[in-house]
Amino acid sequence: MSQSAQSHLTLILDLSPKQWHLSSLEPDGQALSLLSFITQVLAFMNSHLALRHENTISVLGAFPRKSVMLYSTPGANDSGLDSTAPQDANTYQPFKTVDTIVSSRIMEEMESISDSIDSPTGLVGALSKGLCHINRVINPATRSSIESSSPLDPRMLILSVSPDMSTSYIPIMNTIFAAQKLKVKIDVCKIFGEDNVFLQQAAHLTGGSYVALMQRNALLQYLVMCFLASSSLRKIVAFPTHDRVDLRAACFCHKDIVDIGYVCSVCLSIFCSPVPVCSTCRTKFPVKTLRRFGFGPPKAVGNGTSKSGSATPQ
Amino acid sequence: MPPNRSNLDLSDSDYDEEVDVDDYDGGRKHTGKTKGKELPKNRDMGLGGKDGYSWEATYTRTWDAVQEDEGGSLQNAVEDLLARGRRRRLLAPTGAIRRTIIRHLVILIDLSSSMLDRDMRPTRFDLTLQYTREFIVEWFDQNPLGQVGIIGMRGGLGEKIGDMTGNPQEILKTISDRDKLLPDGEPSLQNALEMARSSMNHLPAHSSREVLILFGSLTTCDPGNIHDTVQAAISDKVRVSVVALAAEMKICRDLCNKTGGAFGVALNEGHYRDLLFEAIPPPAQRANPSTGGSALSSNPSSDLLIMGFPTRIPESSAPSLCVCHSELKRHGYLCPRCLAKLCDVPTDCDICGLMIVSSPHLARSYHHLFPVKPYQARTTIADAAPETCGGCSLAFPVPRVTLSDGSASGVSPVGRYGCPDCQKDFCSDCDEFVHSVLHVCPGCS
Repeated sequence: MSQSAQSHLTLILDLSPKQWHLSSLEPDGQALSLLSFITQVLAFMNSHLALRHENTISVLGAFPRKSVMLYSTPGANDSGLDSTAPQDANTYQPFKTVDTIVSSRIMEEMESISDSIDSPTGLVGALSKGLCHINRVINPATRSSIESSSPLDPRMLILSVSPDMSTSYIPIMNTIFAAQKLKVKIDVCKIFGEDNVFLQQAAHLTGGSYVALMQRNALLQYLVMCFLASSSLRKIVAFPTHDRVDLRAACFCHKDIVDIGYVCSVCLSIFCSPVPVCSTCRTKFPVKTLRRFGFGPPKAVGNGTSKSGSATPQ
Repeated sequence: MPPNRSNLDLSDSDYDEEVDVDDYDGGRKHTGKTKGKELPKNRDMGLGGKDGYSWEATYTRTWDAVQEDEGGSLQNAVEDLLARGRRRRLLAPTGAIRRTIIRHLVILIDLSSSMLDRDMRPTRFDLTLQYTREFIVEWFDQNPLGQVGIIGMRGGLGEKIGDMTGNPQEILKTISDRDKLLPDGEPSLQNALEMARSSMNHLPAHSSREVLILFGSLTTCDPGNIHDTVQAAISDKVRVSVVALAAEMKICRDLCNKTGGAFGVALNEGHYRDLLFEAIPPPAQRANPSTGGSALSSNPSSDLLIMGFPTRIPESSAPSLCVCHSELKRHGYLCPRCLAKLCDVPTDCDICGLMIVSSPHLARSYHHLFPVKPYQARTTIADAAPETCGGCSLAFPVPRVTLSDGSASGVSPVGRYGCPDCQKDFCSDCDEFVHSVLHVCPGCS
């Protein structure tokens, strides 16, 4: 244990008001409200910090259309909050700091959400910000601002409630590959809703684990049993593995998730049905191939072109 | 016939030549530099500042660029230089959206006795092997659907070292044994090129055929007319790139120019690596002469492929027979069309013939298609500018007086770089990370 590196946990909280509302409306025994979620997550964060004195944590929130860094240990000393917060003899001060800052920041952000309740959460933003932060923290060349010398063992945990956003397929995959390069494991805990294909792939490709909650009211137990162990401990403890990984992709034209797709040989864009012209790189495909896929004579081409013409993903 | 290597070292042929290779995407330019590998001679140093010889014009005295600050420390100056280097890399032109992604590459390694030369440490041969290994790892990382083969040039013959394969481990194994590859005799460009060309003959039209030659010799020992081979390579659309270790050879330069490849002469160990690694990003597709209006013009090398994305079965499932080896295995992938169990991807399904790839394989190359726009260096701090970086959420460095005007090289004096789309500010570390690794703008998403 003494040889294990200090671990840095980047926690990404999916804070979509709509999904949390739906979650709290579940039949009894399964309902989990946002407030009880936050208390359990705070307890989990405290236990991570308690495991080892050097352990650090950063918390990012994915709100509708935006992502915010809620708290990060290295920068906490600069914020004025901990000096103003009253000292409480009965609590360990670092826990108190984390708890106050995170919960007050979440409330602040929730207050400021007005009309965009339905819009998708900024999960990609949170992921990429988290990776940028990890990159700064583990990179020794730029470490001057952060006083620590022992090697860091960074990992990420995504607590997800929102369904897949197939529009963000490419950015999510890019962040996954970046995480692979940084050797950051991405763990995913699916708290509410359908399985996320992309997050499954994230966990699979980075060597993390994907856990879908069976008993939502036992969230804290899941978190502690599955996600508290640092990567050095994971070799020893029985760690949840995912059975099936769905390696499907989203097509570029309608953002549908497909298992058999038509792929442009030039740019590898995926389409759910044969198209005469690649919408990404403007390559025109040979008529012979299109016929073979049952696309029909070129007279019918105009219809397909207008459909796929403007569908270039961002 | 170029001069022999030993003659070159002894003679005073210390001349530099700057040649711009007109790449078809206009992006990459190489400095072909031909010079003896000895240290700069002392008698030349005195002429440095005057309008002397042309080779001295481009000679930058790096020690002049470094200045001490008030405290006598070099730290700021060094950081400044580092930031410039980063920006230069990032500002390299992006664009060229059409790139070949299903690639086939044959690496021709010179194994002639000239590779035992010690002008690169430890020897050209050892350095080449080491760089080739790094190259292959990185190449497969960026071109997961590609295949690589290796051919050696030794004793006047082309020698097949590794067959075309898509598995980096197999290729690395073939060049892991140094003793089997010991350099000997003369190289033969023609024999090796013919061998490479014939090994790529069967490939479908939509995949690229590329040859990368690591050439240490200044001679080639050919059985016939090499210009015929060059013509054949052109007609087969083989793209030949050469990294020369000794000096520029006319035939190598011609070979690259005519086939659309890149040519470079390595100046030192680091430059050798840079030249080699420039061959990693997928080349832009040879654009049609009229680009804008006839964007829809048909390209014979393009095709629409049907691919299946499998479901992975874990190690913990019950064992079943795979269709490829008829062996009992737990782990595998299910073909989405016929539900046959396959051992590994990417492959063609043995039952229904569907091409099976895992979607992450495809997704690895998407960042070439949708690159993040380069960030602009901010020259001043706006009043409402946030105190923390939009990426890492750490505080920006305190602006310091830079020793030299950074605006020319694109370095921000305040250490902030702004995204043209979301207008958020990023620090220089995040700027580099976003463009070289992440490929997603944290502000825009």
